Amino acid sequence: MRDPENAVITVPLPEDFDSFWAETLKSVPELDTSLTYVERLSTDEVAVYDVRYTSYENVRVAAWYATPRTGGPFPGLVNIPGYISEPLPPVQWARRGYAALAVAPRGKLRSNSHFNPGYPGLLTHNIVDHHTYGYRGFYVDVVRALDVLAERTEVDSSRVGLQGSSQGGGLGIVTAALRPDAVSCFAAGAPYLCGIWDSAKLTHSYPYEEINEYVRVHPGHSELIRQSVAYYDGMNFAPKVKAPAFVYIGLEDDVCPPETGFAVYKALNGPKEMHTYPRSAHQAGLHWVMPKVADFLDKHLVHGGSR
Amino acid sequence: MTEFDEYWRAVDDELAALPARPVADHVPARSTDRFTAYDVRLTSIGPYRIFGYLSVPAGDGPFPAVLETPRYGSVNLAPHYRDRLRYITFTVMHRGQRLADVPFQAAYPGLATLGIEDPATYVYRAIVADCLRGAEFLLGHDLVDPARVGVTGDDLALITASRRPGFRAARSNGPLEALTEVTGSPRAIEFLDVARHPCSARTFRVGTDYELTHEDSADDEVLDTWLARELGVSPIRKFDLMPS
Repeated sequence: MRDPENAVITVPLPEDFDSFWAETLKSVPELDTSLTYVERLSTDEVAVYDVRYTSYENVRVAAWYATPRTGGPFPGLVNIPGYISEPLPPVQWARRGYAALAVAPRGKLRSNSHFNPGYPGLLTHNIVDHHTYGYRGFYVDVVRALDVLAERTEVDSSRVGLQGSSQGGGLGIVTAALRPDAVSCFAAGAPYLCGIWDSAKLTHSYPYEEINEYVRVHPGHSELIRQSVAYYDGMNFAPKVKAPAFVYIGLEDDVCPPETGFAVYKALNGPKEMHTYPRSAHQAGLHWVMPKVADFLDKHLVHGGSR
Repeated sequence: MTEFDEYWRAVDDELAALPARPVADHVPARSTDRFTAYDVRLTSIGPYRIFGYLSVPAGDGPFPAVLETPRYGSVNLAPHYRDRLRYITFTVMHRGQRLADVPFQAAYPGLATLGIEDPATYVYRAIVADCLRGAEFLLGHDLVDPARVGVTGDDLALITASRRPGFRAARSNGPLEALTEVTGSPRAIEFLDVARHPCSARTFRVGTDYELTHEDSADDEVLDTWLARELGVSPIRKFDLMPS
């Protein structure tokens, strides 16, 4: 019988973890943001823009940006996508009063002209080498979404949050850790990319099954993978997080094992709250939790004022 | 013949006129001693080369089989390990989705309304054709037990079962998600109305035969158990299935 809440998930912390990410973030070129209004996706209340910006290794990254048509300054919100999903224009968040940026990191349809490992593929793209691992640029693409919002005069940069589930939840933790001064709060559902190596031992569901399949063909690479993914593991980012966190998981999640959800939650260092859903898998209580997520974000970003 | 019947008969005729010419390439990474995986490419109407994930259990067969019709989105996951243990599985990537995106790459949002001005140009005419082509491929597989073939997906699964007799069981998780992008009632979507696609298979449809609890592990168990019983295999909970 599994005991997710008390399971031990261990991830080695690379000695050069901090310098690796500091150098990675330092290496990025100018944003060179472009913003194009998209009439067909806009409404009477919300303006939608197609945003492009430059990220790690000069890859152009797409995002949808949605803002209320009147008022401001607005709190900012970065929507981070799941593994196989394509980001949709965040019109609902804009209707709620946010300037919301839904990022399509490299490899997503609108950002894949120079990097396209495919699905399956992203999780194991150069996974034996942390320097060239596919997620390196992908992580930076999400972090840079904060820089895009910081350029916008209609955004109050002292009130910026992150929201996402699965890959969007895991990268919320990563982003909050890498930019502790730019993130006011974040909501992370069913976080993926936490306890990466252990997760593959706990499930046959994708995306982690990609690792099991990779190892099937390259059985000698296990140790290299374990070392490499440690640079990308939410467990190593969580202790650096300061922002208030709202975490939710399904207690029977076959995609992102709840053992890893509990473990990364325990490792978070800021104020935090956890919501668990029995008999729930990777949706992690989506049906009930989203109003709570919205209230949490509102409390910190709309009603709470600046930090 | 009604316009509706003409419309779909023409799709059948176009498919019948085009040999599928399937090519199956063995994929060691997705193969184990329990099952063997293949990437399959085959021709649908257009002509257009579509893609499918095939997995065949180890042993002599015949085996029960399941066709997975594509979701609305750029990516379909390969069939789940638990299904590959129990069934021959074939998962169709319709034109425009990843792995079937040369030369046509579907946009999201956007695909749902592509060509919708005219039923003859609506992209879902071709998407249904791609599902039917997948059905023909699976139903014709040498190792499939013809008495135990199921199809699963959204209502594309029911439409597929309606137009290709041979499925014992058809399971739908509800309306085509693409329809949420469609405003008004364009004529083109009338041709996708499941009520007009009666099928002889036994059916289990979310919203008709089952209301989701939204506890998705519990819901999945109900859906998995229904199909497993219909096809004579044991249910397996995904959460219970861990690498040994």
